[in-house]
Amino acid sequence: MKYVIIGNSVAGINAATAIRQNDTQGEILIISDEQTRPYSRPLLPNWVIGEVSFSEERMFYRRNDFFDKNNIQTLLGQTVEKVDTKQKTVILSNKENINYDKLIIASGANAIMPKNITGIDLDGVYTLTNIKGAKKLKEDLVKINSIVIVGAGLIGTKMAYDLSKIGKKVVLVELAKRVLFPALDDYAAVLIQEQLKLSGVDIILNDSVVELDGDKTVSQVTLSSGKKILCDACLLSVGVAPNVAFVDQNIKLDRGIVVDDYLKACDDCYAAGDVASIYDIVVNVRRPIPILPLAAREGYIAGLNASGHEVKFGGGFAMNSIEIGKVGFISMGLIESDTDEVLEYKKDDKYRKFIIRDNKLIGVILVNNVEKAGMFNWMIEKKFDVSWIKDTFLNNDFGWKYFDKAFRVLRLDRKLQR
Amino acid sequence: MKLVKINEDNCVYCHLCEVACKTEHSVSKDIIKAVKKENVLSRCTVEFNYPYSASIMCRHCDDAPCIFACQNGSMHRDERGYVVVNTQTCVGCWMCIMVCPYGVIKQGKNDDWGLSIKCDLCPDRSIPACVEACPNEALTFEEL
Amino acid sequence: MKWMKDVKTYTPPDFHVIRDPDRCIKCKACVEQCSFDATFYDEEEDKIWNWDAKCVGCNRCAAFCPTEAITIENRENPYRINESWGKWNVVGVKKRAAFGGAPVVSMGSDKPYIVYWDHMLINASQVTNPSIDPLREPMELKTFLGKKVDYLEIEDGKLKTVLYPQLELEIPIMFAAMSYGALNYNVIEAIGRAAVELGTYFNSGEGGLHKDHYKFEGNIIVQVASGRFGVYKEYLDVASAIEIKIGQGAKPGIGGHLPGEKVTASIAQTRMIPKGTDALSPAPHHDIYSIEDLRQLIYALKEATEYKKPIFVKIACVHNIAAIASGVAQAGADVIVLDGFKGGTGASPQVIRDNVGLPIELALASVDDRLRQEGLRGKISLVASGGIRNSMDVIKAIALGADAVYIGTATLIAIGCTMCQQCHTGKCAWGIATQDPFLSKRQNPNIATQRLVNLVNVWALEIKETLGAMGINSIESLKGNRLALRGFDLSEKEMEILGILHAGE
Repeated sequence: MKYVIIGNSVAGINAATAIRQNDTQGEILIISDEQTRPYSRPLLPNWVIGEVSFSEERMFYRRNDFFDKNNIQTLLGQTVEKVDTKQKTVILSNKENINYDKLIIASGANAIMPKNITGIDLDGVYTLTNIKGAKKLKEDLVKINSIVIVGAGLIGTKMAYDLSKIGKKVVLVELAKRVLFPALDDYAAVLIQEQLKLSGVDIILNDSVVELDGDKTVSQVTLSSGKKILCDACLLSVGVAPNVAFVDQNIKLDRGIVVDDYLKACDDCYAAGDVASIYDIVVNVRRPIPILPLAAREGYIAGLNASGHEVKFGGGFAMNSIEIGKVGFISMGLIESDTDEVLEYKKDDKYRKFIIRDNKLIGVILVNNVEKAGMFNWMIEKKFDVSWIKDTFLNNDFGWKYFDKAFRVLRLDRKLQR
Repeated sequence: MKLVKINEDNCVYCHLCEVACKTEHSVSKDIIKAVKKENVLSRCTVEFNYPYSASIMCRHCDDAPCIFACQNGSMHRDERGYVVVNTQTCVGCWMCIMVCPYGVIKQGKNDDWGLSIKCDLCPDRSIPACVEACPNEALTFEEL
Repeated sequence: MKWMKDVKTYTPPDFHVIRDPDRCIKCKACVEQCSFDATFYDEEEDKIWNWDAKCVGCNRCAAFCPTEAITIENRENPYRINESWGKWNVVGVKKRAAFGGAPVVSMGSDKPYIVYWDHMLINASQVTNPSIDPLREPMELKTFLGKKVDYLEIEDGKLKTVLYPQLELEIPIMFAAMSYGALNYNVIEAIGRAAVELGTYFNSGEGGLHKDHYKFEGNIIVQVASGRFGVYKEYLDVASAIEIKIGQGAKPGIGGHLPGEKVTASIAQTRMIPKGTDALSPAPHHDIYSIEDLRQLIYALKEATEYKKPIFVKIACVHNIAAIASGVAQAGADVIVLDGFKGGTGASPQVIRDNVGLPIELALASVDDRLRQEGLRGKISLVASGGIRNSMDVIKAIALGADAVYIGTATLIAIGCTMCQQCHTGKCAWGIATQDPFLSKRQNPNIATQRLVNLVNVWALEIKETLGAMGINSIESLKGNRLALRGFDLSEKEMEILGILHAGE
């Protein structure tokens, strides 16, 4: 059996791990256009500002002996040009053909380059979803004194804070009315905005970039409001789009690769990670949810299924954890709703918010008291009936003590599956 | 797999498991230094809600979500089969906290980085420190 | 500091809680363990305080402090020393004056009365008779309680006489009557398990028997007291023997009172009374005003259990104990239980506990004498209780004439009790004399059972060693053998009553 995995990051690595657990003999080949050992993408902002380097083990996703130990072949620095699911062949850009018995597409997603911004091809325009983009920014960092960051998502916000911390002048431009729009509501976003402002970041909301000007290199950014900002660089972080350029017509696309409940895209071909369009159990649609924990689990399940198991992937939902200055938050699922039951606790920089629909938890925001967050995550995932316990959600000491004894004992004795 | 069984009917809410845990996970292994100087965080937490009380710590799930959520492989399964954090590589992104269904991971510090603090079932001991310290067999080390 | 002392009711604290700040790690073990609010944590100051006036000296905090930062000291009498009053009389007057009520206390009397056990020495073999090594030779502690026949008739090599029902004890030590209500479920569970494991009996006390504890059938003695709580057919059926409680050594002539707040749903069901109501045991049995009335109850119970179970009658030791015991024997009791003055209680008026009754040693000796004189001692069994503190007390009691003993206070001390005398408050920090579900958790039946088994087994070992030293290989041979004892520091009258010679005689 020959397994080919496209993508050498979270989903791909977990797929390979799962396959190797099931099939000790099969050949596993991971193809990636990146040359490096699999690394931790969320650490790229820290790497750019020099907090961490590639000589440190914490920069990598797996330890150095991972591939040898698991007997996994790698083909690095090669771009996949075409996948032929009929012939079960992967065609590389160097025209080499690689046959497979099972294929797992875990090619991830790349930064979106908005077409409506003019001058986007100028030097000094950066993205930060992979090592290539990050490297460019890191190399140029000494020359950059002021930077405009477009898009206040997780990467944009974290990068804004980090760059400001090392003394750069940062302007953060966001189309929405607040930072971290899909992850936080107004109250929590304000807490983050305060931290950003404290560190010196200029935040421009309800505005977008229409034009980048400059002679070879960006020197001025024009916003749709007409405002012009002088700068040395511009970081685009307006989201990611799945890497699906190489798939053939057997693989259906709907934003990402359409997969069934077993993460199968077509016969002998699975997709996992940011590239896959999976079922969002909170908003009940299929869409790519580009977050790391889901990518890992999808990769693992795809690997299991590719190597003979039939494990259902129950779907996922968006969740985020980030710390900006003194404010750390975790949010999961839906973060705003006018039609559902909303529980809120607000006190200074402590914030707890729960959204409940039909006695099921569908959204949580926790700010600065996050240690029990996973319990809520589990309730969302399991569609747990919270009607009898929701009254205790707002307590800052929420924990097992509020559960029914019989249930608690079963859970803590691991007699009930998670 | 042997685990710490939580017998809540025997818990007397004395916090001695926490004290033992802090001592075991300190550098000095000295109870007073561990608490007063090193400020070690306890891996177990005693909860109280009259008359219930119990010490809660990692249940070492078979399909541990924290391992999947970890951004750089710091959360891993050790050779004993228990879920542990590599303190050298953890960066404190709290994604494990976000997914831990038992809510038993704490936010600690390791130099400049955050560090996820969780029960490692005392690798240097045959019986975990909390179990040994419990005066009323509210924590026992057995197959679960 | 968040407390304010009530000057109007002030009396000097009995204890001083000393906390070594260098050792204290503020783990709050002491705070959570103190059930008397004598220790508390001030979050704002990050400091643990002690309130000496509330400390009862139970030492729960000191036992749990992982750094031994806490020392409990008895406070000296701060008043001008007055030998004729002593601190207790002064405080006693003040408390009665301040609160307008008679103080209730628990456990046995703590006043410095003479303990006769400590004035008796045991004999041993030298030269003229050999001592026995109990590790090499069999040593018999087996004891039978119940009415004995005068003689046996044997026909065709078979026993013709029908024997009376007997209790068979592997060790002549039983667990005394402590009710469900005074003790909680976990403690009764542990005592029951220990009785089963040791091959002896435990007494349910007057509070009935929880259905869960019916599983100890074969090792249960049930009590029928003046309140008749929980007495019904199944209760009598699971018992191996039935004990009629006339009186209790700690409070002779006084009834019992379990306050309504302790009557939980489970206790209410067991006692067969409404939840939350006071459980009152009248001072007398309202159907017993004479020996003849007692006889009626004894035979009613025998009738109800088809003469298959021995009937115990428990009486508190009072002045005419010998005559009373004789009457009880003649009323048809199979076993007489004598409860001495130092016996414990869950609640008793202080003055009664400390002033009414007789020490068990004197009562036992005089009852044994009287029954012998009347030719009854060979027929019935005698059980001594109230102040048995160690294995040698057991030996001395048996030498004075007891068949077996009950241990109550020692049972509780074995599982944690420190005799702080707060049983009546229901706040027992050791989780024994409390119905509080949080405090009750402090008794883990597994651990408590083991401790009780250990205690009694060690006592049995010590008894065997001592019997061996005396050259006796069966506890039966020691029974009533007062020559094995010598007294010292006693008056002639005391020795006369005890029926022993002075040391050196």
